[in-house]
Amino acid sequence: MKSFRTLSKLSALALAAGALLTASPAAAQRELVIGVTDALTGPGAVFGLPQANSVQMAAREINAAGGIRVGTTTYNLRVIQYDDKTNPTEGTNAVRRLLDRDNVKFLLGFCCSGATSAVASFIRREDAVMLVGNAAERAITTQGIPNLFRTRPPADYTGQAAGAFVARQGPRRIAVIGSLEVGLYVQYLDAFEKEFAKSGGTIITKEAFGLRDRDMTPQLTKIRALQPDALLVIGYVEPAAFVYRQSLELGLTVPRFGFTSGSEEQFLRVVTSAQMEGVWDLKPTELTLESASPVGVRFDANYRAAFGSSPSPSAPYAYDQVYVLKHALERAGTVTDTRRIADAIRTATVPPEAVMRYLPVGGQMFDENGQAYTSNGAFQWRNGRWVFVEDLPSDPVDYSKFLRSLRQ
Amino acid sequence: MVEVLQQILNGLTIGGVYVLIALGLTTVFGILGISHFAHGSISMFGGYVVFYLVTQQGMPLAFACLAAMGAGFVLGIAVERLAYRPVRDASPINAFIVALGLTMIAEGANLQLFGADQIVIPTNLQSVFRIGALTLTELRFYIILLTAGLILAMTLYIQRSKTGYAIRALAQNRNAAILMGVNVSRITMLVFAMSSMLGVAAAVMIGALFAIAPGVGEGLAIKGFSVLILGGLGSIPGAIVGGLILGVTEALAAGFLSSAYKDVIAFLVMIIVLLVRPQGLLGKHS
Amino acid sequence: MLEVRDLRAGYGTIEVLHGISFEVKAGECVALIGANGSGKTSTLKAICGLLPVRAGSVTFEGERIDRLAGHVIVERGIAMCPEGRQVFPEMTVVENLRIGAYARKDAEQESDIAAMQDLFPILRERAQQDAGKLSGGEQEMLAIARALMARPKLCIFDEPSLGLAPKIVAEVEATIARIKARGITTLLVEQNSAMALRLADRVYLYESGEIVLTGTSAELRDDPAIARAYLGE
Repeated sequence: MKSFRTLSKLSALALAAGALLTASPAAAQRELVIGVTDALTGPGAVFGLPQANSVQMAAREINAAGGIRVGTTTYNLRVIQYDDKTNPTEGTNAVRRLLDRDNVKFLLGFCCSGATSAVASFIRREDAVMLVGNAAERAITTQGIPNLFRTRPPADYTGQAAGAFVARQGPRRIAVIGSLEVGLYVQYLDAFEKEFAKSGGTIITKEAFGLRDRDMTPQLTKIRALQPDALLVIGYVEPAAFVYRQSLELGLTVPRFGFTSGSEEQFLRVVTSAQMEGVWDLKPTELTLESASPVGVRFDANYRAAFGSSPSPSAPYAYDQVYVLKHALERAGTVTDTRRIADAIRTATVPPEAVMRYLPVGGQMFDENGQAYTSNGAFQWRNGRWVFVEDLPSDPVDYSKFLRSLRQ
Repeated sequence: MVEVLQQILNGLTIGGVYVLIALGLTTVFGILGISHFAHGSISMFGGYVVFYLVTQQGMPLAFACLAAMGAGFVLGIAVERLAYRPVRDASPINAFIVALGLTMIAEGANLQLFGADQIVIPTNLQSVFRIGALTLTELRFYIILLTAGLILAMTLYIQRSKTGYAIRALAQNRNAAILMGVNVSRITMLVFAMSSMLGVAAAVMIGALFAIAPGVGEGLAIKGFSVLILGGLGSIPGAIVGGLILGVTEALAAGFLSSAYKDVIAFLVMIIVLLVRPQGLLGKHS
Repeated sequence: MLEVRDLRAGYGTIEVLHGISFEVKAGECVALIGANGSGKTSTLKAICGLLPVRAGSVTFEGERIDRLAGHVIVERGIAMCPEGRQVFPEMTVVENLRIGAYARKDAEQESDIAAMQDLFPILRERAQQDAGKLSGGEQEMLAIARALMARPKLCIFDEPSLGLAPKIVAEVEATIARIKARGITTLLVEQNSAMALRLADRVYLYESGEIVLTGTSAELRDDPAIARAYLGE
């Protein structure tokens, strides 16, 4: 009890010192707090942790380069981050804490669709701006929420392009295994199937696995007996890695396509490089060194230096959010009027610091749905790494119209 | 036919791991009437230790396993002495609450010490055996062998050794066992130690075959209790039969019915067994 | 050999033994008799360490045993054949006998099992059967044999005739007489006072947790107090 009291005294002291520090330097230098809600634990942590790290990194870079200049005031960014544990309830609680207790107006991160959809359902009524990252559930940007923007394109935008690509590769009978109780993967698969069917292909079975499943041999044994031409794996990295490993162990040697967005490091924790050889990943053109611009190469190097591991390919979705926000704040000339800031984001062009290669719609980064698009790409595992092979033809203008048509 | 055999082979591996977990739970339940929920999470601690010893200290896997099983033995004793013994003579609800609290502590400790990322215990068993159209990885083969060995050793120990007699006697009639000269405290401690040791072995198998991550231990404890209910609470042959049945049923259900409802179907089988035989497959009438 | 002084014990807030004193000398057979609920079985449990002693002392071969754990008391040489037999139902007859010798460390345990089977032939016939499948009388024989397997210095019988058919009761009585004849010190708790008076050298009469009468069996055989104790005033 005594030590507890001492501790709370100490932390009060620390708070006071912190307040002094932020208040004391030149009057024009102030602090702006941004909040991150992301999966730091749980099955989504493979995406959430790198995203949260990327936001920290971008904030540090911006501060080091002199902060954000709004009118005559310069703001330094401070990041508060909470763990949503890949859980909608926890995600809602975390955002409420940011909004109500920490008085944060800018919410970043959001890697996973469950927690993100929960927050999206009420964010419209809040005096805040929400920037979604890796969460790919389509419905997040079909509701016309004026203060919500997403850097990653929806899953079916990619699924459609992937279906066309796989059809060109030749297989006719495909077996699917994936997280089929998760909305975004179902959307990817639906778009894939529609596109794949246009060239006469069929999906012969759809097998599901749970987020925590690691033993896929029953499903794969069933698939093996059906003798498919190819395997399509859609789901989080970790279960997907086990599918790749166990498919070979069961002697299933057909071509393997996937939609997983995992880094080399993440896969190699579970499977050997030899077991991954030849696997395709059909996904938004995210960060890989071959496809990266000089900005991307710098991002990768800085991230490794700061966190001692390589960033996940999807990590820049969150990194780019910070720069989108920076430019919008500077253009809007306010850090409090969230409506003007949201307008500034909606009319913004792609920031020069962006790592992902966005395809603007009508010259702007975000379309009327608050959605940004990247190109989609086909990546193949060759000798221990993901190699960018080709762009998947995709039409953001067309898809943007389709997305708008889904709004109620 | 090949597919059925392959599915049974798939299911036997994981079923064996269920047996190891259930054996620990069933002996603890038999002697103390405690539902030791923390068993899975505490076992996973051992799995993490093996991972740490192998990847950070470069220890050979076999030594790391022995070290971790030794650690599990000691940990089991500690859990019994520090957590369960103080409530031994209190009402059963106290032990129940202790068990829940212990689960949270063990899960929290694992998270703090080893992080939220999943870990896979590296082995260099990469080859695959093919018997006709059946495939079996080297790793699974050794796991099946090792599980069979541990189950056999445990069964012989319970059936033949003097301590095994004491364990069974204590489970069947506590006072009469004391009148035979059975030292209740010593046997209880030993049972916890052995359970945790088997649990650690199971965790290493899970860690090598699949992965260890937060929540995996709790999930395994739930499977373990399903096995207990299926086979009969406190019954050792019940734990063995129940574990294998659960493993194989899951595999067959996923393979022939629906992979989306793999767990549901396994539980459905359990409910049906309970409707027909409420005391479990090998449980005693009461 | 066994000396109990001012023994008090109870369950929860209720005291059921209000200062019990008696002794058993080496080679003797002593019986505790009295009505149901008068505290006889509680006394045995207190001696064996199953019920905590609240006051008073239990001395065995000159040493206090009233603070010892149950299994240590067994190791000192006291074996009990508990009320209701309490054999281990899912262990075989032989396994039940074997665990009777749990506290022993010598090498003659297997030969003792054979000796017990000579004494109780039914235990040889049923050797591999689960004890729970035996009849009540067979279980009683098994429980007695199991207690003897410990090679006790003092053998305690708690209500050995309870719930058995008259013919079996006679058999049990003959068995205990034989044990007594081997020179094993015995302490017997029995509701069947006629049987107790036939077997015991000395008798203590219980009434509501106290000893109200004591004497040799011969002295008490015709004492009206005994009939009164069972039938009520």
